[in-house]
Amino acid sequence: MSEMRAAIAAEWTKLWTTRTVWWALVAALVLMAAGAGQYAIYADNGDVDPALLRDGVVPPGTVAVLALAFAQLAFLALAMLVMTGEYSTGTMRATLTWIPARGRLLLAKSVVVAAVTFVAGTVAGLVGASISVALIGGRVSAGPVLGIGVYLALLGVFAVGLGAVLRGPVVTLVVLLMLVVVLPPLLQLPEIGVLTAIADGLPGVAGNHFLLGDSDPYAPGLGLLIVTGWAVAAFLAGRGELRRRDA
Amino acid sequence: MLITLERLTKTFGSTVAVDGLDLEVRPGRVTGFLGPNGAGKSTTLRMILGLDRPTSGRALLDGRPYAAYSWPLRKIGAVLEAKAAHPGRSGRNHLLAMARSNAIPASRVDVVLEQVGIAGAARKRTGTYSLGMGQRLGLAGALLGDPPVLVLDEPVNGLDPDGVRWIRELMRSLAAEGRTVFVSSHLLSEMQVTADHLVVIGHGRLVADAPLDEIVAGHASLEDAYYSLTSVR
Repeated sequence: MSEMRAAIAAEWTKLWTTRTVWWALVAALVLMAAGAGQYAIYADNGDVDPALLRDGVVPPGTVAVLALAFAQLAFLALAMLVMTGEYSTGTMRATLTWIPARGRLLLAKSVVVAAVTFVAGTVAGLVGASISVALIGGRVSAGPVLGIGVYLALLGVFAVGLGAVLRGPVVTLVVLLMLVVVLPPLLQLPEIGVLTAIADGLPGVAGNHFLLGDSDPYAPGLGLLIVTGWAVAAFLAGRGELRRRDA
Repeated sequence: MLITLERLTKTFGSTVAVDGLDLEVRPGRVTGFLGPNGAGKSTTLRMILGLDRPTSGRALLDGRPYAAYSWPLRKIGAVLEAKAAHPGRSGRNHLLAMARSNAIPASRVDVVLEQVGIAGAARKRTGTYSLGMGQRLGLAGALLGDPPVLVLDEPVNGLDPDGVRWIRELMRSLAAEGRTVFVSSHLLSEMQVTADHLVVIGHGRLVADAPLDEIVAGHASLEDAYYSLTSVR
């Protein structure tokens, strides 16, 4: 257990001692603020899906969730760089001589990323909801704000695991963007049942179902479970690759 | 602490990089590790450090593989590449993270920074370091856990003459303290004045494993001895 604590302390130190993390967090907050402002204005003009209305208005938490479509990109970049940055800068071999247990190293990275994306994601959710309140009124509720933190923590673990499988930062980011951003609308647009069902199984769409609390096509809890499934699967695949392949 | 290789073998596809290497590297002396480019030196060192998985055979430290140690940096210090630190991180923060990973007191960081002579640049990002400073930072990392075994891959690359002399004396004093020092190099003249014992490999196989005097005996220099060893086969 003390080995695990030491591995987490080392990864924590590494995370905060490069500039990447600061850029990513600033970008996340800027994207969230800009997105929330934009969606709040859309909501005020009645330019949003009527299904999002509660008592005739769009709740601030929902505006933050909509704005997350942009802000999550910065969180994805941060999380995947924690892993792939080790390969692109050639430090992976050194890191593995510090912590030779592959599973322990990946778990330490996942814990650190999840902690940071949970806290920063919750803060971002609060910022987005507050901007919505300032522009169009309403009250911030804790549920969606904390939900954003939970979703981003799971997405972070997913990105770290995928980075361990793919190793390269560019290929990892492309696959992440495909799965979370690009594929869902492509699959949903034709309105063909089987394609929509596939889209509903992707992490970004499942996260949205969870965060918006809608019960169509499945309960919000199932959405959370699906995102968790992606995170666990990526972690296990990443651990397998780290153990199997030479550094 | 002993480094023991038992029938250590590594193949990449159809290429045999390391071919059934049996070897024991002993404490209290500097053991030089020689061989032409592509002879399998770096692959062997990577297998000792648990980075590459042997195709067959084992590499052990006092009977256990590297990955079996909870705090490996306290057992074996390694310099594998000149720059193993993130270019955006300061040398001090690099060593601090390294210390935390193995529960080594943070006070050791300043000790080793002084010891390798880069305390003045410790707060600069390592991307700004020269090759020689990168080597010194790597050595600081190797010494951080005060380990009984040191494995150094081409440690004099990029060092100026003062640096070369400094590292020679450092290796000799580490061995004199009873540590196991295993150092690969291309520089035969440097090995001749640094090593007590030599291991020579070619095409992944052991060519010689003998005291320096014995290998040089009958030749004008280590260089002559090396060429007769590596070309006769």
